[in-house]
Amino acid sequence: MNVNLSSKIKMNITHKSIRTITGLLCLVFLLTVSSCDEDKYLQKVPPTLIEAADVFSTPERIESLVNGVYASLKLANFYGGRLLLFSDVRGEDFINTGGNSFTGFDAWNHSYSSGAADILNVWSAGYSTINKANILIDGIAKYPDVVTATVATQYVGEAKFLRALSYFSLVTVFAQPYNKDGGASPGLPLRMQAETTLANNDLARSTVAQVYAQILKDLDEAEAALPANRGTTAGSLLNTTRVHKNTAIALKTRVYLNMGNYAQVIAEAKKIAPQAVAPFSAPAATGVAHALQPNVVTVLATDYTTTESILSMQFTSLDMLAGQSALGYMYYATPDYILNPTQIFSNPQWAATGDTRRGFITRRVVSSQNRDYLNKYGTAAPYLRYMPVIRYAEVLLNYAEAAARVGGAANLALAEELLKAVHKRSDAAYVFPALDQAGLISAILIERRIELLGEGFRSNDITRLMLPFPAKTGTVYSTPAVPTDAPSYIWPMSNDELLNNKLIN
Amino acid sequence: MRKQLLTCVALFFTLCLYAQDRVVTGTVKDNGSALPGATVLLKGTSKGTATDADGNFSLSVPSDGTLVFNFLGFRSQEIVVGNQSVINVTLDPDEQQLAEVLVVGYGTQAKKEFTGAATRIKASDVQDIPVQSFDQALIGRAAGVQISLPNGVLNNAPVIRVRGVNSISQSSYPLFVIDGIPVTAGDNLGTTTVTNNPLADINPSDIESIDVLKDAASTSIYGSRGANGVILVTTKRGKEGKAKVTYDGWVGWTKAVRLPDLLGAEQYMEIKNEARRNAGQADAFFPSYNADGSLVDTKWYDYMFQTAVSHNHALSISGGSAKTSYFFSTNFSRQEGFLVSNEFDRQGMRFNVDHELNKWVKLKAGINYTNSENRAPNSGSLDGNAQGIIGAARMAYTLSPNVPAYNADGTPALNMADANATIGNGANTVVSVYYNPLTLFPLFKNKSMNDRILANGGVTLTPLKGFTFTTNYSIDRLRVDNVSSAAPLPGSSGYSTKGSVSNITGIINNTDFSNTLQYETRLGEHHITALVGSDVQKFSTDQWGANVQQAADTYFTSYQGTWGQISSTGNVLTSKSFLSYFGRFNYDFGSRYFLTINYRKDGNSSLGAARKWGDFGGVSGGWTISEEGFYKDLTLANTLTSLKLRASWGRVGNGNLGPYASLNLYASGLNGAAPALGISQAGNADLGWETGDQTNIGVDLGLFNDRVQVDFSYFNNDVSGLILGVPQSASKGIPNNSIVANIGSLYNRGIELAISGEVLKKSKFSWNASFNITTLKNRVTSLATEGSRLVSNSSGNPFNMTEVGYSVGTLFGAVTNGVNPANGRRIYINKEGKEVQYSLVVPAGDFQWSYLDGSRAAAITAADYQPLGNALPTWYGGFSNTFKYGNFDLALNFTYSGGNYVLNGNTGTWLDQRYFNNSEKVLNRWQNPGDITDVPRLVYGDNFASANIPNISAYIEKADFIRLQNIMAGYRLPSPVLSKLGVNSARLYVQATNVFLITGYSGVDPESSINGNRNTSPGVEYNSLGNGRTITVGVNVGL
Repeated sequence: MNVNLSSKIKMNITHKSIRTITGLLCLVFLLTVSSCDEDKYLQKVPPTLIEAADVFSTPERIESLVNGVYASLKLANFYGGRLLLFSDVRGEDFINTGGNSFTGFDAWNHSYSSGAADILNVWSAGYSTINKANILIDGIAKYPDVVTATVATQYVGEAKFLRALSYFSLVTVFAQPYNKDGGASPGLPLRMQAETTLANNDLARSTVAQVYAQILKDLDEAEAALPANRGTTAGSLLNTTRVHKNTAIALKTRVYLNMGNYAQVIAEAKKIAPQAVAPFSAPAATGVAHALQPNVVTVLATDYTTTESILSMQFTSLDMLAGQSALGYMYYATPDYILNPTQIFSNPQWAATGDTRRGFITRRVVSSQNRDYLNKYGTAAPYLRYMPVIRYAEVLLNYAEAAARVGGAANLALAEELLKAVHKRSDAAYVFPALDQAGLISAILIERRIELLGEGFRSNDITRLMLPFPAKTGTVYSTPAVPTDAPSYIWPMSNDELLNNKLIN
Repeated sequence: MRKQLLTCVALFFTLCLYAQDRVVTGTVKDNGSALPGATVLLKGTSKGTATDADGNFSLSVPSDGTLVFNFLGFRSQEIVVGNQSVINVTLDPDEQQLAEVLVVGYGTQAKKEFTGAATRIKASDVQDIPVQSFDQALIGRAAGVQISLPNGVLNNAPVIRVRGVNSISQSSYPLFVIDGIPVTAGDNLGTTTVTNNPLADINPSDIESIDVLKDAASTSIYGSRGANGVILVTTKRGKEGKAKVTYDGWVGWTKAVRLPDLLGAEQYMEIKNEARRNAGQADAFFPSYNADGSLVDTKWYDYMFQTAVSHNHALSISGGSAKTSYFFSTNFSRQEGFLVSNEFDRQGMRFNVDHELNKWVKLKAGINYTNSENRAPNSGSLDGNAQGIIGAARMAYTLSPNVPAYNADGTPALNMADANATIGNGANTVVSVYYNPLTLFPLFKNKSMNDRILANGGVTLTPLKGFTFTTNYSIDRLRVDNVSSAAPLPGSSGYSTKGSVSNITGIINNTDFSNTLQYETRLGEHHITALVGSDVQKFSTDQWGANVQQAADTYFTSYQGTWGQISSTGNVLTSKSFLSYFGRFNYDFGSRYFLTINYRKDGNSSLGAARKWGDFGGVSGGWTISEEGFYKDLTLANTLTSLKLRASWGRVGNGNLGPYASLNLYASGLNGAAPALGISQAGNADLGWETGDQTNIGVDLGLFNDRVQVDFSYFNNDVSGLILGVPQSASKGIPNNSIVANIGSLYNRGIELAISGEVLKKSKFSWNASFNITTLKNRVTSLATEGSRLVSNSSGNPFNMTEVGYSVGTLFGAVTNGVNPANGRRIYINKEGKEVQYSLVVPAGDFQWSYLDGSRAAAITAADYQPLGNALPTWYGGFSNTFKYGNFDLALNFTYSGGNYVLNGNTGTWLDQRYFNNSEKVLNRWQNPGDITDVPRLVYGDNFASANIPNISAYIEKADFIRLQNIMAGYRLPSPVLSKLGVNSARLYVQATNVFLITGYSGVDPESSINGNRNTSPGVEYNSLGNGRTITVGVNVGL
């Protein structure tokens, strides 16, 4: 090869320089390439979730937080329906045919252990609703200027109502009845502050009486804080899906009834049923004009926002429950419960024909037997019927029972009038026999089982009166009576509490 | 690639040749095929050459010279030239030498210079094992690495634990780095029904070697990602020479094994009606008859399990020139599981290329595309599925044998009164909630499909002598489609909603950009290597989907049909990053003294705002005593040929956190039509790193000229700042009742011993064996507060607990003390230590829960539960043997483990006193006063004493076992046959996996884990499928 020496040297120098420069560039590159904006890599916020610091930043978000408490109340294992089913099937009016612990068999069979999924779920659903209410109350105080004072007051009232309803639901299944000993029994841990940190894990139970006192305090404050009406037209959606003054009053009739404080039931009921004779209705001047509707089937099956539905859980095709979370599935579609033929189903007070409420029952032939199923929550997916939480009919029956128990001619007459208002709305032809005080109370209790069948009242109606749970005999499963002193008379506390809260006994 | 480097070196020598003496020519071969790039050196000089593409060489040498033939991975050979002018050489493979280079983080290292703890697994050990992903084939291969298959469903991620459970709530899955790409691994990307192990996207045949890094000194270069060990996978690359073509294929058959013996129809009716009568209820189980009058006695196993047929094919073409080499492969796999309708398909291609642009610039690039799809019915074997009514294992155990599978008209027997048309009930008056597998399996379909691209490109520059700059960019882009389709037809779980189809599609993107600069120099006996680098990793998940119900026509089973209802489901949008700087310094003196220092600084976006950065690193040292002059004079040196001491200490982190773990978050939803917000995560702004301080002390021995090699290590890993979901009192109402915090510490201590070598070699016969054993002690040393106990759930049941003084995930439950011979009730011990007996149904005046004197007792609750046994093996290992005789080879791979307990929750199902079928064990039930048995009196509906709450001490069993994991017999076709066929090499083999199991465990499989890799819930078998037995025949062909 004929190469000029100088050019060869030059080439070498050039090569060497290129390589040296490249080497230096490499170093620079290495040191700088990833030290670019650290924040870009390390400070990440989720694009579909909102950080705590921002949730109280706008009126819209606070409104959403309020709706969030309702959404929590509507969890499948709470007022979404399963808790109501558990409560009903603990009573004597249903027979379990499935034996499936995922559809409430252990509630029916009185065989819950503290680790049962239903126990864990109901306990957690209740307390998660309570915590969301507490977070709302706490946040509104911490961010006072985002919404007006009026709106803030209303929101706090709503939160208190929802907290009260949650505590009431829990205390009536997880603690001894108030009437056992005037509320002296151990109740629930009473969580009254927002919990989002590791602190405050241990908290002892308050007594049943303390829990009731808190519920009533919340409801009284809610009544004062809540708006009288959420819509100008009758049947406004929000008057059924959000709470207002009368909702708090209505719930108080339920709470006082549980405590055997009949005078207070009457006092509260009078606010929304001031009449002495039918038709009863809440005065429009002070709030939503609640009244019984002509057809109860319509109220529950098609027209969910009448003035009879004081509070209901709303479902839409984007916000609904399905399968074993849906009552329509468990009562009707799968179906795991038949109406106990020997109980309320065949009670003479419930005419086999002519009572509109028989429309909630469908007879089908299963295993060559006639079986009667509750269709109150629909018969096929999707299950979009609103879940009733408080109906005016219940308030009237609470009122009737309190009046009947207090006694005296006027009260007994009023009680009978209230009972008939509820009964004759569905069966005008029915003629009650002559009713003395005891007979009247008994008729009212039967009426509750007919009118509120499947709406979650039966367990509490048994325990508040300190009655044993009757034995149930079915074709496949049977379960013995549960006396009031049996451990299974109430539900065991959740393992999630027992294992983690050291002050729980 | 190494071949290539040698080629370069050889070429350099060639250029320096002077014409002299005479010319010798020849060919270098390895057992048949030519070896291009082998070096031929004149001994004692720097004179030499390299073989060309056909293995030929030509070299001028003096006649008294000696030629040394070298090729990496082969034993070198010396030949005296004498008067020969043609010298043909066949080199023998040297497996030991192959093992002598280890792949370490961001580079390679000679094993003799390595002072950490690592194990290399060769491709040949794993490539013919019939699995879906290569990690499943590593069982028993490496000391310290415990791998088990949690169940027999296809494409499960195995449970992998390198030196024990090193975390409680974070993943204990090692980091997998494939050709420098840290890949998505370990997660189940499928649904709760169908599994999807992302490592199955790697074709096992493409793997060249697997290196497992075990101690912090080796893994700390990966900083916060190295806490659970690092598994480095190197795939095959092209070598200089003419194109080589290989084909590997097998076909196999799989069957279920160790299924329990269940009751037949008559026994079933007898047992169940006895339970009914004991509960004071009328008989409810009655015979059904076939058309021919015979009793219906359905063997449901026959409708749910099958002899599965699988086949797998892999083809590769590789080769290269002096400057450029390439490797291409393609594979196709179609596998069936022993569970009916469980299927796995994979097809993929890999291409990579290496190119030397000039003396100082080298380029490499590779791309791998894989499409895999797994289809499965709900097996009941995945996390959270143990008690589902559509779980196949539970169905197989519990379906009533006296119920017909088909109606008289040949259609599947269904209960049309049920909204979903569940299984028919025959003549039984009890209604079953289960489905008929004849309709459920075909009508409820689940699949998880991956489209995966793994690609990387890199440049290596050597601008100045000793300096190497490497830049690498890699992409792991994975698209996952999960489809769950329940047909709108009777007997499908979606019948009541007129069908239900969910399609969820997601992109899981993971990119990594790393840059390193290395300097290496030798000054006399000093050898220094220093490396600095940076690494940026970004992970993002973007997933969305929809569920449709209410089919317009019963024909529709796919999302694209017409549906009356649609709602969103499966939405995930997250991202997280790691930002890292690291360095490594290696120093050795005279190949006797070694020192390595590692450091890495890691930033992790998941951690609390002020705690994102962590410092990790390690130091290790070694002393090769056998290289010392004084040692070589010892007589011991004749036996103990090599002796190296090594020790290391390091700190690593565990950054496998959810992307936003430290934040308090609120999720949006709907209340009716109104927007709703609610707390979805209570975070912890103080969340910091979980770190492990790992000590490793070891010795490497070579005996009898290194024919036998012994690796011994002691390790101690102290993990502190454990990130735990601290269980909160449920009354706090916090989402999931849990908040993450750094609140604990634990350690893993143990020893590892690996012995391998040539046991025997006599002419045509050889026996190589490799044995490893690891002992492990795992203890939790502190938790949030004194005496706190973390209870972890399996499908909602508190089966495990973690507490100071115990191993992670210790089994937990009620202590029992047999069955009361007087009345057949199971006896429990409550927390006061008193004996309490239980019967669901009792006569008036008696109590469900009573003391043995008959007085009322409180029910046993979780408050009475006690620790019932360590669930983590305290010893485990493998023992593999390879025998060769002429062209025959035989390999046996045993695995064993023990010292732990397993909860045989199946027993609960097998004795369940609802309408469930039972195993034959139930025949030992208590019947009469005085009966001594471990099966209580049968009471219909009993959900507690024997059944649905199975965590009782009576069901805790020892898990010790020995398994013949693989046996393989092969035959290499002899050369005359091969040449007639025109192929280079061909081997036929027969192979079997899970051949037998020796264990005292009475459940299905002692390695079962219904919670997969979840650290806190090991050792539970409950309504899950065991592993099948697979027999394959296969062929390896080289062209």
